[in-house]
Amino acid sequence: MPNKSNKFFVAFALILLVVNGVYPMVWVFLTSFKNDIELQTTPIGYLPQSWALTNYQQVFVQQPFLQYFFNSVFVSTVSTFFCVIIAALAGYAIARVNLPNRRLIQTLIVAASIFPVVSLIVPLYQMMRSFGWLGTYLSLIVPYTAFSLPISILTLTAFFQGIPKDLEDAAMVDGCSRFGALWRIIVPLAAPGVATASILAFVNSWNEFLLAVTFASNQATRTIPPAIALYQGEFSFPWGIISAAITIAIIPIITIILIFQQKIISGLTAGSVKG
Amino acid sequence: MPSPTTPRVHRGVTFWTRLITGQLTEKEFGWLLLSPAFILLIGIFLYPMVNVLLLTVRVQEIADPSKVSTSFENYSRLLKDQAFIDAFWRTLWFGILTVSGSFLIGLPLALLANVKTGWRWVVRIALLLPWAMPQVIAGTMFAWMFNSQYGLFNDLLLRLQIIEQPIRWLLQPDTQVIAFVVTTIWKTSSFVALILLGGLQSIPIELEEAATVDGASSWQIFWRITMPLLRPAIAVALIFRTLSALQVFDIPYAFKQAGALNLETLGMYIQKTTVEFTDFGYGATVSLGLFVLALIITALYVRFFRTDD
Repeated sequence: MPNKSNKFFVAFALILLVVNGVYPMVWVFLTSFKNDIELQTTPIGYLPQSWALTNYQQVFVQQPFLQYFFNSVFVSTVSTFFCVIIAALAGYAIARVNLPNRRLIQTLIVAASIFPVVSLIVPLYQMMRSFGWLGTYLSLIVPYTAFSLPISILTLTAFFQGIPKDLEDAAMVDGCSRFGALWRIIVPLAAPGVATASILAFVNSWNEFLLAVTFASNQATRTIPPAIALYQGEFSFPWGIISAAITIAIIPIITIILIFQQKIISGLTAGSVKG
Repeated sequence: MPSPTTPRVHRGVTFWTRLITGQLTEKEFGWLLLSPAFILLIGIFLYPMVNVLLLTVRVQEIADPSKVSTSFENYSRLLKDQAFIDAFWRTLWFGILTVSGSFLIGLPLALLANVKTGWRWVVRIALLLPWAMPQVIAGTMFAWMFNSQYGLFNDLLLRLQIIEQPIRWLLQPDTQVIAFVVTTIWKTSSFVALILLGGLQSIPIELEEAATVDGASSWQIFWRITMPLLRPAIAVALIFRTLSALQVFDIPYAFKQAGALNLETLGMYIQKTTVEFTDFGYGATVSLGLFVLALIITALYVRFFRTDD
């Protein structure tokens, strides 16, 4: 079946796929090195005239970008941490414990992802206001933990179900308590599943915009997505500096993808198989 | 509290004592493990949704925000609200365009990504990058490329002589829709492709090989074997894509920040009502409308896709 022209066509299509995936980032990267004059001449130039890092400097000078970066890292890490722990407990319960209505519980958890987050903004805003959490990290960390719970529980349940039950039984015969078996046997074996769930939760939290811009858009707690959207230059939208900010903002994401691409794909595709 | 099926537990000892001594029943242990998850899910999803329902009767006078009363006025205001009606149909229209578009592109992408080559990891990364990008950043990137004077797209189109004058993409309604659809499809076709890829990878290769041996053409294999087996994956991708298309907020907001003509979606309208006007009752009413729409679509999905479960 595969013949010469078939292979050529597939190769060409694959090149198109790769180009399609990266061209916006490449363009933004090139733009980040252009100064204001270059950016406002037509016809536009493609390569920058110089590779000076002025725009990148300006990113940190004009706005507390380092603070924004730290905020994103902090909020995403903390919410991922708690999300995975809670999801692991829940996943273990569903996979191992002989509970009645297991299917119902799973359906309910998945049903949570049907609630449109946009619809929840109004009451959540009121809640945050009454707790005094508006403009603090908590207003993001707590919801983010909840948002990633359904997918994390799904991933980890599937993962736990794949670990042979005999291992725990053997440990308990040898004198381990229920919790002991969980800690000593399951946790090390579940590491890959935990890693996958963590990555997915982290990416979800990092990219979240609606709550971030509504609850915590003041400079002290602003995360990266609102930082990019709310970038007001003195006159018009400073595309050179924004491109530099975007480039900096997506470095963590690109790093995560490069290192963990296999895990991410298996995590996302497992969701499709389980349905 | 006494249960007829737990003979090993002493009747006089309370739950808390048993917790400490590690003698919980199976059921209690399970629910203990599940409790943090349920507390969070109820607190962030269920409780607010109930609140939305209750808030819809909190009517705030537009002229004097301090006057708040209780009635069903928000509902009648909603049905007459032109801004809401516009946002509603616009969101629906955007949804149809982007969901179908993301599948039209996503399926070929998935099929391509499934091809066994040595460059598999490059292909994977090219598929993951759009997915992993924050939507707001994708929106900003594309707003720049769609810029009327200095944007990449106009430049290419002019150089290839496909157009003679630069198109003012974001400043006109019709062209902004195209820009939005292109941007959203770029981002979401990767998501669809990733989900479909999972489905493709779970199809046993022997099926396709057996069919080839039996003399089936590539087309027949695709339509008779691959597509039916992809149905669960398509279903998952479809429901996730549709529900998120209803809520679309990030990309239009990014366009707006970049100076685009303001084409509001339902998500933007709800957020604006909440933050800029603090009219929680009305915002809740619009939110309820969105939720009902999501429920209807989910019900249709279950009806259509789960009948053979």
